[in-house]
Amino acid sequence: MHIDNYNDTINACRFCFMCRHLSAVGNVTFRESDTPRGRALLTGKMLREMKDLHPDYIDTFYRAELSAANRFHCVSHYDEAGLIMAARRDIVEAGLAPENVKKLAAELVKAEFTVEGSGSTLYYVDLYSDKANAPKDCKIISGGDTGRALEVLGFVKEAETVWTKFQTAVKASGCRTIVTSCPASYDMMKKRLDGVKVLHSSEFIEGKPGSGTVYYLDSDYLKNYNDNMQAPRELLKKLGYELKPFGTNTEESYSAGEGAVVYDRLYPELTAKLCGRIAGLADNPADVLVTASPYTRFALNKYAPQLRVLLLDEVAARGIK
Amino acid sequence: MKLNQENYLLSMLHSELADAVGREYVSGNAADRLGHSIDYYWIPEMWHDRGRENPKPDFIVHPGSAEEVAKVMKIANQYKIPVTPWGGGSGSQGGALPIYGGIILDTKRMNKVLAVDTESLTVTAETGINTQHLEWAVEKAGFSTMHFPASIACATLGGFLAHRGTGVLSTKYGKIEDMVMSVEVVTPTGEIINTLPVPRHASGPDLTMIYLGSEGTLGVITKVTMKIHPIPETRKFHAFLFKDMHEAMMAGANIMRSRLHPCVIRLYDEPETAKLIKRVLNIDKQGAYLVFGFDGPEKIVDLEMEEACKICRKREHEDLGTEMGQAWWDHRYKFFYPPYMFHLPQAFGTLDTVATFANIEKVYWAMKNAVNDKYPEAVFIGHFSHWYEWGAMLYARFIVENPPQDPHEATLYYNSIWDLAIRAAIREGGVINEHHGVGLKLGRLMKELYGPAFNVLGSIKKAIDPNNIMNPGKMGF
Repeated sequence: MHIDNYNDTINACRFCFMCRHLSAVGNVTFRESDTPRGRALLTGKMLREMKDLHPDYIDTFYRAELSAANRFHCVSHYDEAGLIMAARRDIVEAGLAPENVKKLAAELVKAEFTVEGSGSTLYYVDLYSDKANAPKDCKIISGGDTGRALEVLGFVKEAETVWTKFQTAVKASGCRTIVTSCPASYDMMKKRLDGVKVLHSSEFIEGKPGSGTVYYLDSDYLKNYNDNMQAPRELLKKLGYELKPFGTNTEESYSAGEGAVVYDRLYPELTAKLCGRIAGLADNPADVLVTASPYTRFALNKYAPQLRVLLLDEVAARGIK
Repeated sequence: MKLNQENYLLSMLHSELADAVGREYVSGNAADRLGHSIDYYWIPEMWHDRGRENPKPDFIVHPGSAEEVAKVMKIANQYKIPVTPWGGGSGSQGGALPIYGGIILDTKRMNKVLAVDTESLTVTAETGINTQHLEWAVEKAGFSTMHFPASIACATLGGFLAHRGTGVLSTKYGKIEDMVMSVEVVTPTGEIINTLPVPRHASGPDLTMIYLGSEGTLGVITKVTMKIHPIPETRKFHAFLFKDMHEAMMAGANIMRSRLHPCVIRLYDEPETAKLIKRVLNIDKQGAYLVFGFDGPEKIVDLEMEEACKICRKREHEDLGTEMGQAWWDHRYKFFYPPYMFHLPQAFGTLDTVATFANIEKVYWAMKNAVNDKYPEAVFIGHFSHWYEWGAMLYARFIVENPPQDPHEATLYYNSIWDLAIRAAIREGGVINEHHGVGLKLGRLMKELYGPAFNVLGSIKKAIDPNNIMNPGKMGF
């Protein structure tokens, strides 16, 4: 089983409570099972009971938002997010994936990528972005998720199929640099795309000078997966914006399930709760919140419409007015 | 009444509870029942590790208000079903375990900060709030609770109230019971009551204190008003190494007897200095490590620090300076993360004891000798975490590398170490314990600890909880 590769994490996390304050889903469901400790207890049972794995356990693994805030916080950085992805992979390979997950995977695997426009840099448009926001003078690649969503759902073979299609399209474009606003795709490309420079849009766009006060919401994939808290902040500061700290701390995930890439598709009610918690932590609903994640912008606009949430790329291009 | 998972009565009760708190907030989910069957107590961890099933709750309910808690209590009383309050579940004494099934009343949905009074310097909050979340919220308002226990990120505020918890800065800011102004409680029969709004009065006995430390056996604390403090201008630390624990104890006790006001003193015995201070802080020294700190206005801190250092320098010492003191503060929680914390297959327990300065070293040696004589395979280490004007708390621990594999044998073996060590401590004037609580682990020893006075506690319990629905099997009740 794939979770066998995470025995150290299972043994470390199953009786450890030290990161529970950062369990994004646990903080809105209040369930013990929605914490790294709870999930590690379940994986321990999974090793013994795979054949008769309880549907409630399976659902719990899919409820995980994979923010990796807990891993980032842990002094030993036990890979609680990796463990859940391994558990999902085992569930899929055992034919136990829930129907709604299978249906979503079947949709994602249909991705076909096309490249259009001209330029020496390629810009990837993810599921939650609009081509209209692509930087000028870039070729555009679009057509679906890069495979990251399938991977986190546990459909690793299918993810490979989609990734191969994506990689082929990137190579065919002839571009040596690829830029994306999507932190999840950035993470995947950065780790797997050979011979091509990968940039998040915060590392690429120049933007127009602006003014005003903004609150920056960290992206899980930039901060917790790539230890990058600075690039978006530096861009905003460089453009002239005054940055205020959001919420009460910089450790919690304020991304509404970005780590699970397509969380909203599986758990809209939980996404709404995650957004509700973020809304509750805002100093004032009129404040301008800036996110580097198109998914987070989408989720907050949908489930917390009282908030004023802008994508970093939009702020850079058009300002906050 | 013992519920049966196959009986339709379970569903009938589910409906009734759903009516009280909302369908979404009643769960019989298998994953949740597993998560609520294990807390931070070694026995259920070992039980799970050996592939055995721990006792599980029939339901987990998440009330959102004192009114909803009251409804749950009335239902539980009607059917005489056990109710076990659960906050963060990070207690080490088994206090939140649903050993007779029934209802787990998880308080985490009651997680709001209700008011920060910047005139009186108090905060009022619901008790299901995670204490790190509370501290962050209070800091954002420009203050601090000054409650910094190792379990700050795991436990709820209610958990600390229920177990009379202690934070790292207790020497200056007090234990949780020193921080509390008043509480709101839902009684086992479903009444919502409030204690008096200030903690110092002459209006009869202190009702608040009956509930603090009651570990969910006398009701559910749903709201608390507690003191908050300005963020200090500075906080400084200094560390010394002494040749042995006795010398370090004398230095620490003299600091307290001088009536200086350190925010923290911590003393590690020689084995723990060699084992944990080396591993976590990378300070590789032979002897007993003592660290202390002061906070407040810088001029006062510097003056008090100078006086405390003078006291230490009167004894044979190695001055480790401010850097090795600051390192302790910076890594104070690291000791409790894996792999630094003890873990299975080891058997381990924290023999938390408190005593006067006249007795505390006697307690240490009595426990250590008792454990070492009968269980030479056990390693005994300790540090003194919380210091008062009259004494200190001993955080002694035993660690056994290879306890019995059979879970029943392992339980008997584990309990026998506890019984031996605790009885040795009680004989020397020690009180078990200072901040972890009693729970399931130590309930059987409460009568020995209190003597005839335990009957008074028993009478209070009977009067307040006539059907014994509240956390039965804990605290010796």
